[in-house]
Amino acid sequence: MISRFALAAVLAAVMVLSGTATFIALGSRTSRVAVPPEKPTSATPRAQALTLPGTLYMSQDGALYSLSVGRFHQLTPEAGWTQPSMTPDGNIVAVKQAPFYSDIYVLNRFGSVVRRVTNNSAPNKNSDPGLNHWAFYPRLSADGKTMWLAYDKPKFQYDVVLSIWAMPATGTIVQGRVWTNAADYTGGDVQPLPVKGGLMYTKYDFASRYAANQPDRLVGMLWLTNRAFSVGRELTSPSEDCRNPAVSPDGTQVAMICTYQKQESYLTIASWNGSTLGPRKTIISNQLVAQPTWAPDGSGIAYLAPGAGAGPFQLWWLPRAAYAPIPSPAPTPTPGGPHNGPVPAPSPATAVVVRPVQVTTNNGFDATSPLAWSG
Amino acid sequence: MLAIVLSAVAGGLAYFMPAAQLALDSTGQVISLPTPSPTALLASPTPSPSPSPVTGAFTVLLLGSDDDSKFSADHVLTQSMILVRVVPATKKVTMLSIPRDLYVHLSPGGYGKIDGAYSYGGAGAAIATVEQDFGVHVDDYIWIGLLGLVKLIDAIGGIDVVTSHPVLDDYYPADIYSRFPYSYQRVAVLGGPQHLDGLHAMQYVRSRHGDLQSDFGRSQRQQEVLTAIRLKAKELSPEDLPSLSGALGGELKTSIGVSRVAQMLPLAASFDNPNQITQLFLLPPYTHGGGPGGSVTADWGAILPLVHQYFP
Repeated sequence: MISRFALAAVLAAVMVLSGTATFIALGSRTSRVAVPPEKPTSATPRAQALTLPGTLYMSQDGALYSLSVGRFHQLTPEAGWTQPSMTPDGNIVAVKQAPFYSDIYVLNRFGSVVRRVTNNSAPNKNSDPGLNHWAFYPRLSADGKTMWLAYDKPKFQYDVVLSIWAMPATGTIVQGRVWTNAADYTGGDVQPLPVKGGLMYTKYDFASRYAANQPDRLVGMLWLTNRAFSVGRELTSPSEDCRNPAVSPDGTQVAMICTYQKQESYLTIASWNGSTLGPRKTIISNQLVAQPTWAPDGSGIAYLAPGAGAGPFQLWWLPRAAYAPIPSPAPTPTPGGPHNGPVPAPSPATAVVVRPVQVTTNNGFDATSPLAWSG
Repeated sequence: MLAIVLSAVAGGLAYFMPAAQLALDSTGQVISLPTPSPTALLASPTPSPSPSPVTGAFTVLLLGSDDDSKFSADHVLTQSMILVRVVPATKKVTMLSIPRDLYVHLSPGGYGKIDGAYSYGGAGAAIATVEQDFGVHVDDYIWIGLLGLVKLIDAIGGIDVVTSHPVLDDYYPADIYSRFPYSYQRVAVLGGPQHLDGLHAMQYVRSRHGDLQSDFGRSQRQQEVLTAIRLKAKELSPEDLPSLSGALGGELKTSIGVSRVAQMLPLAASFDNPNQITQLFLLPPYTHGGGPGGSVTADWGAILPLVHQYFP
């Protein structure tokens, strides 16, 4: 016969077990919304299922990473590195952001510093934060001789806006000159993109200044200018609220992000003839898309967007078939000679829906950092 | 068997203890409305408001305050005042940002910027001021401190926002996680779709030095972040409440009772159409600058019809 003492002990143990199990079970049912992203080099599953062409460079938590042959490599420590772009000779131009300023560096493809381009920290022991400067979005011209960047000079006392600057690629910012002088109290000019015959960039300004029926709020617009201090002209309207331009490798299309003044973002493509944008084509409308980047071989577009629902940004891949027009099939030749009757209508092409592919699942890439892609 | 069930319940209670503690501490706060002064009654642009006539509709006043070490805990200004009306039947939400510098008659007496009402008489004074000046009925309030918003956003894993433009500020107050609360820091929140943690979301909604619209521009950014928080909150489960409450301790106060909070959680998840959210800002011609002490003066003749259209 089991003693009362033993029974009580067993019951107590079961009660402790039951209470603890309930506690743990409830804890395991949390939504995991606050689980921090993993480093691309350690995240599982790794981005090996899909091999993208060439090498893609991106930023997460202040470190630069490359993705090549399906594997991530960490190029720099987590020290404020962001916004990589390629130089014609295969090096990387990137921004290193500190709490009070940011500078532009040239790195080799393994992440070692080749040269520091700007020196934007305030003189030592000066406590006025306004003496520091920001430099963002560096881009080299196709010939590698000119560096374009967004730089916060001139300043307007309390108002700080970014303007587009151009400087010799091997020189210093002292040799540079302001290209688009963003007016006082606008959102500034950012994201310079050298194109044949000019410079495309994103201008943030009040919509009401450009159209009578527009609200009094800051929006993004793509602009084109071809000389310093020229006014340039709008490529997109204030109502489209576009930014993040990227020109296709063959120079005939522009991918961009348009938000239509809402908390939504659409991957939009338009034809490009060197001076104007053609009709817009919305490619993705159900994700918070950022930083569309064309593959150098034209096989598709990489971009950043949250994985599912709201969350850190992942790498996505949109194959060319998702946005390229499907060629009309030629009529089938009539066997036995020339056709005399009415031309038969070609059978409709089978509609194949090509969906974007999610390349990573557990990362948290910097969605304000453009992707750089070398072929 | 009963003992095992009870111990399981005890385990559940232990799990939800932090949330229950916060609920007891922060929710169901009693609103004590100050007795209106005679001048208040004279200044009231409309008769005393009555509760919302639409069944189930309710109006909440969201208050956000700087509660860093520069201020006394009970006497803080409300940097953000947003009136939110929710109509569950139509799943419509209307958000009206009230300019913090709006020069109004304050319910505790006298005139001043509306952000001072809370510092003079707490949430009750802020509610009474809004009710008397705007002619609306406020059912409840939610107050959150500066650090509370940072912690809340971090606790839900950050938010996804389309920042409408870059926000650069050379003289942003360095009063969060700082030993020198009167010093300044530089901030740069770049434009476009991005994932923001609590600190950067706070920088985005709080900075106003570089914005031509000053507090109005800031109000727009605050509504963008509120919308993003609501979107992220849809992904939460009840089991997240303990960690959320642990993060928020002391930084949140509301008059909404625990049972009502439980009723509102599924309601929040059902609002999934961004086009059903109406955002209102009292930009010129509704308001004009140049008021006393750098305040903003109201054109009540224009404001009240607008407010009564959306807050009947």
